Amino acid sequence: MEVVSEVTPTCGARDDVWIPSTCGLCYGTCSILAHRVDEVLIKLEGNPDSAVGKGRLCGKGVSGLMTHYDPNRVRVPLRRTNPVKGIGIDPGWKEISWDEALDEVAERLRKLRAEDPRKLFIQRTTTVTSSRTPMQVFAGAFGTPNRSSAGGGLHCGNGAHLISGIMHASWSVVPDFQYCNYAVYFGASKGHGAGHASCSNMGMAADARARGMKMVVVDPMCNFAAAKATEWVPLRVGTDAALALAMCNVMVNELGIFDAPYLRAKTNAAYLIGPDKLYMRDVASGKPLVWDSSVNEARAYDAAKPDDMALEGDFTVNGVSCRPAFQLLKTHLARFTPEWAEPITTIPAKDIRRLGTEFGHEARVGSTIVIEGVTVPYRPVAAIAFRGSQGHMNSVYNFLAVDLLNQLVGSADMAGGCLGFNPASHGHPETGRPRYIPKPGPDGLMVTGSWMAHHVPYPIREPRLPEELGMQDLFVLCQTSPFSDSADREEMWKKFELPYRPEILLNYGTNLLMSIANRETVAKSLTQFKFIVSFDLFLTESSEFADIVLPDCDYLESVDSRPNFPFIFSLPGGMGEWCWPIKQPTVKPEGEQRRSSEVLIELADRIGMREDLNAAYNAILKLEGPFRLQSDRKYSYEEVCDAELKTNFGAERGLEWFKNNGLIKWPKKPEEVYWRHFVDVRVPIYWEFLPQLGEKIAALAEPRGLKIPRHYYEPLPDWIPCPAHDDPGSDRDLFAFYYRDIIHTNSFTMENPWLDEAARLDPFSYTIAMNAETGRRKGIEDGDEVWIESRAGRRVKGIVHLTEAVHPEGLGIAACAGHWGDGMPIAKGKGVFFNDLLELDFDHVSPVNLNLDLCVKVKVTRAKGARR
Amino acid sequence: MSVTSGRYEQLIQDLRAEVRPQREWIERQGLLLIVGHFLSGVAAGTWLFSLVFHFPAGLAVAYAIAALSAAAHLGFLGRPARFWKMWHARSSWIARGFVGLTLFLGGGVLYLIPIFLSASPWQSGSLIAQAGYFLALAGMILLLFYKGFVYSSSKGVPFWTSPILPALYLAYALRGGVAALLVICSFNGINLDSSALGLLELWIGISAAVMILFYLGVMSGSSPIEQYSVRELLRGRAAVSFYVGTLLVGLGVPIGIGLTGLGAPLSLGAVALVGLASVIGDFFVKYSIAKAGIYRSLTSSPHWRDKSAAVAGVPPLSVKP
Amino acid sequence: MRWGMAIDLKRCIGCYGCQLSCKAEHGTPPGVFFARVLKQEEGRYPTVRQLFLPVLCFHCDDPPCVDVCPTEASFKWPDGVVDIDAEKCVGCRACMMACPYTQRYYHDEEQFYFPGNGPTPYERARSQRHEAGVVMKCNFCRDRVRAGKQPACVANCPAIARYFGDLDDPTSEVSRLIKDRGGYTLHPELGTGPAVYYLPP
Ligand SMILES: Nc1nc2c(c(=O)[nH]1)N[C@H]1C(S)=C(S)[C@@H](COP(=O)(O)OP(=O)(O)OC[C@H]3O[C@@H](n4cnc5c(=O)[nH]c(N)nc54)[C@H](O)[C@@H]3O)O[C@H]1N2
Ligand SMILES: Nc1nc2c(c(=O)[nH]1)N[C@H]1C(S)=C(S)[C@@H](COP(=O)(O)OP(=O)(O)OC[C@H]3O[C@@H](n4cnc5c(=O)[nH]c(N)nc54)[C@H](O)[C@@H]3O)O[C@H]1N2
Ligand code: SF4
Ligand code: SF4
Ligand code: SF4
Ligand code: SF4
Ligand code: SF4
Ligand SMILES: [Mo]
Repeated sequence: MEVVSEVTPTCGARDDVWIPSTCGLCYGTCSILAHRVDEVLIKLEGNPDSAVGKGRLCGKGVSGLMTHYDPNRVRVPLRRTNPVKGIGIDPGWKEISWDEALDEVAERLRKLRAEDPRKLFIQRTTTVTSSRTPMQVFAGAFGTPNRSSAGGGLHCGNGAHLISGIMHASWSVVPDFQYCNYAVYFGASKGHGAGHASCSNMGMAADARARGMKMVVVDPMCNFAAAKATEWVPLRVGTDAALALAMCNVMVNELGIFDAPYLRAKTNAAYLIGPDKLYMRDVASGKPLVWDSSVNEARAYDAAKPDDMALEGDFTVNGVSCRPAFQLLKTHLARFTPEWAEPITTIPAKDIRRLGTEFGHEARVGSTIVIEGVTVPYRPVAAIAFRGSQGHMNSVYNFLAVDLLNQLVGSADMAGGCLGFNPASHGHPETGRPRYIPKPGPDGLMVTGSWMAHHVPYPIREPRLPEELGMQDLFVLCQTSPFSDSADREEMWKKFELPYRPEILLNYGTNLLMSIANRETVAKSLTQFKFIVSFDLFLTESSEFADIVLPDCDYLESVDSRPNFPFIFSLPGGMGEWCWPIKQPTVKPEGEQRRSSEVLIELADRIGMREDLNAAYNAILKLEGPFRLQSDRKYSYEEVCDAELKTNFGAERGLEWFKNNGLIKWPKKPEEVYWRHFVDVRVPIYWEFLPQLGEKIAALAEPRGLKIPRHYYEPLPDWIPCPAHDDPGSDRDLFAFYYRDIIHTNSFTMENPWLDEAARLDPFSYTIAMNAETGRRKGIEDGDEVWIESRAGRRVKGIVHLTEAVHPEGLGIAACAGHWGDGMPIAKGKGVFFNDLLELDFDHVSPVNLNLDLCVKVKVTRAKGARR
Repeated sequence: MSVTSGRYEQLIQDLRAEVRPQREWIERQGLLLIVGHFLSGVAAGTWLFSLVFHFPAGLAVAYAIAALSAAAHLGFLGRPARFWKMWHARSSWIARGFVGLTLFLGGGVLYLIPIFLSASPWQSGSLIAQAGYFLALAGMILLLFYKGFVYSSSKGVPFWTSPILPALYLAYALRGGVAALLVICSFNGINLDSSALGLLELWIGISAAVMILFYLGVMSGSSPIEQYSVRELLRGRAAVSFYVGTLLVGLGVPIGIGLTGLGAPLSLGAVALVGLASVIGDFFVKYSIAKAGIYRSLTSSPHWRDKSAAVAGVPPLSVKP
Repeated sequence: MRWGMAIDLKRCIGCYGCQLSCKAEHGTPPGVFFARVLKQEEGRYPTVRQLFLPVLCFHCDDPPCVDVCPTEASFKWPDGVVDIDAEKCVGCRACMMACPYTQRYYHDEEQFYFPGNGPTPYERARSQRHEAGVVMKCNFCRDRVRAGKQPACVANCPAIARYFGDLDDPTSEVSRLIKDRGGYTLHPELGTGPAVYYLPP
């Protein structure tokens, strides 16, 4: 990487370099250049060479040095002296040596592993993508299935990632900013504040805006995305499915708009469904049948030409009357009229009808476009969703209903449409790596080519009596589970005869006490661990429950060969470049901090699981040939990184090469970006597997006294209210919800004084957004301090900001603030701790994917006397 | 909470707010500037009338007051040690004030020494004394005029950018001078033509009152920011000092007594009271007007509002809560 | 030759990237902002918009702040950039009162971002250069521009909403954007002639 010329002449500086690396203040992992002069970092800038961030950083990224040089960082290993654990209880930290710390941790882990490795629970923060590989590898080698990403899946992911995975072979979805003309956002801020590749998307979204892309933002609050939208559509929190289904209905039944060829060739729309809601299957091959209109008989889906497949009609096959899945969908949709949706969503029927019509017309069904000499279908409309709309009891249907809009007009992964983040890669031209392409699985349905979590979303695992403490092996459609911390976890484990109990928690950063739900419940679960080890930068509210805290190196002191891989996560979607940057140390730690990646290797060695660790690295990093790790040798993490880079990019391009060059990139091909047109896979618009799955889970659950509500397991999406929607409480008249602040990452960055200062100047960051008219009605003035109280009687306090920019029934709270611990003094007392309002038990998660319900019906009262 | 962090908290609140009051020229060291302004006015006025009434004691007092004013100014500066750099008077009224003060103090000393020091190497009426006389006179004139212009050239604070202020502050400087004389005389029982002074005092007092009313009238008729400042003065942070200090003590008392004095000549005590009250009023008029200063707001800029309002005209959605 | 900036309010997403990248570039002390982002609401629910207004020193053609400065610490470079020579500043704050755009900040006394902890290594390297008792403001990243770079806030803006260039050159990107998009300045009625233009949303 050529050294960029000095910005401000620092005369006589011996050491003066710009080091290419990767930001770590959120999971966007933008490429940075760190300017070091005389061993001190004086500036972080974006790396213009990189496709990730394209040389520009968000406000958090440019402020990284204030986190890095925070005097409150943990610098030495700590052991608690006070055996009593609880919120606000002083652990009585005592500084200990690394050897003492590692000996104790290794000893306990060794014993536990011999006894039952599953008793180890491993948890990492989503914020640091680089922690994924080392923690996953360690868990694999240790032999525990129990891994979690704290609030991660529970809040943002169990719906979004499951459905993006099954329908788009990716972790998440985004509009094809380069070609899209009409995007509808259902509770996502992509390109305007948060989300995957968030910084890169800001530039791409701005280009789209300048180009004239229309953007409709469906959101209870007119915050970041809505601020830039051509139209803001305020809705009642959690009712997205109702709006999306009504829009689908308008398109299909009122306007007759849908992409028949796409539905026939790329989905299971033509599969014949019997009265039992299941596929009609070919007796011999067991393959699902379609109706071949060229010969007027049923055939296996892969025996008929797509053009001949019937999408509509009633048929009889071997005496059983059946209908194509699309016919069922069409009939199903008919009941979701705009008039039906209006009272649920509060959006006027005429507007819903208009939105459905606009979406259908803008889709230009049937059109094609030539991109770099390649002809692909042109569907310049996208319906995207993320954390907001899927963070509810109805997680699956909310997200699925939204994606149906794309599937019906065939805009899924087509030019201008709704793209998964890079689902297909042909690899670097010289090495053909990394190569992954979605492929057909059971019943011709798509299996992703690349994935983040332990099991791919499809094919669906067989539910079984749980061996994982999160019971992901019973509720197989969930990624992250509430049962590692929930109020009813012991009850669940008893019910389902979990053969063991977790004893040791190995935590990486996660501040779960704040980031999951009400702290009382989470605290209780934490106190039940016999021993907690935490890799930390700061003593968070959660680390106060740890027995040993290990001071970690931060992103500017660490190394990672794949900060931005898998590409399905935070590499910008659409045409452009493949880009594989690395993360490398830019300075030495000021204290005794050690890299958790190295510490884990050291621990593995002391536990006596070196072979298993190396084997796990070989498997998970797909190391090959001369670069496979030998089972008996001890490798440093740098060596592991070197091996992965050489495996992928050739012997001459190891860690050293990347340290100098920062990254490698090559152009994307239309065949990769618009892969769906070229790959013969189908996605389910009809989730035939759901009813069966429901039955299978019920067969295990109901004899043990856990009712599985079947209406969540129907093959076609519906709108099902959240507990908040049927809360009878008359004085609880507002729906509290949260949203990401553009200058804060979850619970992390309130400790950064630059970001904190900016947030204090912002009208919303640390306040509760209440509709001005609602405030007037309640006699609440701007700046009043109020109590927010949930049905369960949980209360949080905050300062009200009256605004026109929020739904009259909504109460918008930014970020994951409200720290109370002393370990992050700048963050302490700033903002509002929304999560303390959230219940954490089976009754408040989706019974399908266990996504937490993130809307709460609340009562708001003025804290007495308070007014400022 | 250290002073600075106290200031910091205050600044954060100010920057959040729609309207941001100026604090640099009124709070903490800022107060010294107001004192300095006030003293320099009184000094110049006193010097003027002491010359008119050939009253050497007055000259001495005026000189002392000016010296105090200089000290106050220095105390206010963030970098007092660099005060000597403030001579770039091309367009800066602060610089002109500084030059005025320098001339006054420099010339004054040349003029006064022979008057009070018999052993002085030069005599009154000598060339040096004459030079001193004219230098001090020039300084005096600058001091009488500059501060009003310091405020009226502060484009950032609409409330101040009014041509009335220079006139008003000139009036107050003169009045301050008369008042100071009244006080001095009454205290050492010297009998100057106090009724003439009283009349003068009354006349300036009334004209000052008229100017203030006119000033407020104009301001409350202009942009929101000025109106807000007027509110600050009449109902807000500056109200007490304005009503009590400026109006009641500063104008009410002197004018009241002055009017009663039109008939019978005033007792020395009454004269002293008139003087003191006027002097106090002189301070508080500056204090109140400085305190009511509000910075111009950016989002209130006409273009920005019109142009941005356009985007707000999104397709209307009639949402039923 | 006159340096100027155009800020595209259609592209701007109010991310504070300018405010913070400026802090990172200059190590400005707590409470001193060369760049800021203001937020404002327009309209009534549900026809409402959040509007963002990124501001900085406008490097006025006829800068009142320079006129009132008694020491010539505040001055204008031939290329139009209005700057402060900290060595000359006596901290009289007349310029703060004169700036119609509240873009000047008084650095009253040395202060760091972690109270009670003294300066971080970064602050030692970057913030301690700024002397106390003087007024500070944006200098259009003079050092960067001299080194042939864009100002920090321009180079970093994630939405590519800020453009920097020569206003005197009608062919420069800024000049063309201002002409084509009908760029406007704030409080033009004051005749200060700002060098920072806004492109309508
Ligand atoms: N109210 C509210 N709740 C939320 C969210 C929200 O926006 N608002 N977001 C939800 C979502 S989607 C998610 S994914 C979760 C995220 O919840 P968490 O996973 O807890 O993530 P953060 O809150 O960002 O906390 C990140 C932690 O990682 C630590 N850390 C940072 N860098 C390093 C490092 O290099 N090494 C080590 N060892 N530690 C490090 C920081 O100290 C910080 O405490 O929160 C969920 N909860
Ligand atoms: N700046 C910043 N960037 C981040 C993060 C961060 O904390 N800060 N966190 C990272 C992580 S872990 C994640 S998961 C992503 C999340 O990225 P996003 O999904 O964009 O996160 P949110 O802002 O929580 O939710 C998006 C929008 O949903 C709205 N919303 C809330 N409830 C509902 C609802 O019921 N329906 C609808 N239609 N909208 C609703 C909110 O008002 C918000 O505007 O961001 C990542 N990037
Ligand atoms: S988006 Fe995330 S990764 Fe990118 S610069 Fe901002 S904080 Fe860093
Ligand atoms: S950095 Fe760019 S987009 Fe962000 S606030 Fe500043 S001008 Fe707007
Ligand atoms: S904006 Fe203010 S500080 Fe900047 S040049 Fe204009 S008057 Fe001076
Ligand atoms: S504060 Fe400094 S720059 Fe401002 S006017 Fe006074 S001397 Fe000039
Ligand atoms: S031009 Fe430079 S100094 Fe001015 S605001 Fe931008 S970054 Fe800050
Ligand atoms: Mo997340």
